Amino acid sequence: MIRVETEGDVGTITLARPRTRNALTPEMLDEMRGGIGELGARVGAVVLAGEGSAFCAGFDLSLCEGSPDGSAMRDLLRGLDAVVRAMRACPVPVVVAAHKAAIAGACALVAAADFAVADRGARFGYPVVLLGISPAVSVPTLGPAVGPGAARRLTLDPGLIGGEEALGLGLVSDLVEEAADVGPAALALAGALARKPRVGVAATKSWLNEIDGAAEAGDAGLDCSLGLTGGDEERELLRRFWEGRAGG
Amino acid sequence: MSLATLDVRGSIATLTLNRPEQRNALSLDLLAALAECVEELKARAARAGGPKVVIVRGEGKSFCAGMDLKAVLGASAADNSLAESLLGGLAELTIEIRNLPAVVIAQAQGAAIGGGCGLTCVCDMSLTHDAAKVGFPEVDLAVCPAVVAPWVVRKVGAGRARQILLRGGLLSGAEGAAMGLFDRSLATVEALEDEVATLADRIAGGGQLALRETKRLLNDLDGSTDAEIVRRGAATSASVVASEEAQAALRSRFG
Repeated sequence: MIRVETEGDVGTITLARPRTRNALTPEMLDEMRGGIGELGARVGAVVLAGEGSAFCAGFDLSLCEGSPDGSAMRDLLRGLDAVVRAMRACPVPVVVAAHKAAIAGACALVAAADFAVADRGARFGYPVVLLGISPAVSVPTLGPAVGPGAARRLTLDPGLIGGEEALGLGLVSDLVEEAADVGPAALALAGALARKPRVGVAATKSWLNEIDGAAEAGDAGLDCSLGLTGGDEERELLRRFWEGRAGG
Repeated sequence: MSLATLDVRGSIATLTLNRPEQRNALSLDLLAALAECVEELKARAARAGGPKVVIVRGEGKSFCAGMDLKAVLGASAADNSLAESLLGGLAELTIEIRNLPAVVIAQAQGAAIGGGCGLTCVCDMSLTHDAAKVGFPEVDLAVCPAVVAPWVVRKVGAGRARQILLRGGLLSGAEGAAMGLFDRSLATVEALEDEVATLADRIAGGGQLALRETKRLLNDLDGSTDAEIVRRGAATSASVVASEEAQAALRSRFG
């Protein structure tokens, strides 16, 4: 469900589960974490991309249907948190190729990236409060990425924002017109970053990690999201969500 | 001729980097001259009736070309005292400017590069013109803009700072303003000078205490009072300068 490839100095991790819009499973998250760690030691930049119609729709919530005690959701949240940490710890820049959609858990990947390329029509956001789920796990990196005011709005308002607004907020670094242009633009950016001397880039990235406050949050974001998992509200809202799906 | 000059006229002071033949690059002498001017400003601005606004500008075509990287060619972990002094001097200068009890406006009439662009970010406001070259090419030279990074983060936010500092290269003044590195970019140098003069006059119309206390609060809230992080940035940056990879990159550029 994940492909890890290297071309020249650039490593690419591709989410390859297009029929579910690359919905994330704990196994995929674990492979991504491993892939980032492994690539970071031997390439000059890493691209995270998604195969098919959109980058990624977030967690595969169908896993939670058979897991009323919340264990599947806990695995997903822990897996996402580990990927975010791996992206930050990676000594080379991480570029997300966010075409069409980066929702919830996938938006958290965009927020944690050093660079994100998207198309004008792409959609970003955290509509998960509607399901009784807290996007708090993303806040430690989203806050520094877009500023505290915008982070508040993005995590509490379940609506989505477009590519242009994401660029304005700094969530996206590079905007292209068409979804098909996102992958090539992300590879070109990664190639240019990979050609820079590694020591300055690694030192600068690690210094930014130290001063942007994300690390100081520690486990507070993850713990907040985990705290709701398996609770009555989440169970009830998820049940209604699946009923609506089955009915609609 | 002094390497930095201070001209106080009523409530507006002008601090000029005056090393035009070296594009106002930050040598130890220039840093010392600037520190002296800032010390005097600190005393004068603290007095009732002292300057409320400080304009920082560069003499000649450049605002400030940043650290003199040629000077640190040959630095090593065993002998890195020049890099440590230069970066430490820049760190202290930015800390002092941020804490001046007056509103500081950077007027980048020409290139503001690396530490020079960092100098504009530590000011309360920064203006430039469309054709000026601005930005942080440090990573392209295998060095690390760690001293100025905290000020860039406070200016543009951590997300944008990450994009700007890791991407390296240079931007036009217009692009810099679009990224939030500058508050405004004017079409020409003349328009820039007019705009800064108008802005300085307008701000100087405000109450001295109101301006000073508002700035102090903003500094408290955004972490600007944490001088240690800037000093640690100087140590981080100096250790990268001394690395073999950075020295090799500097040799191929300047050697």
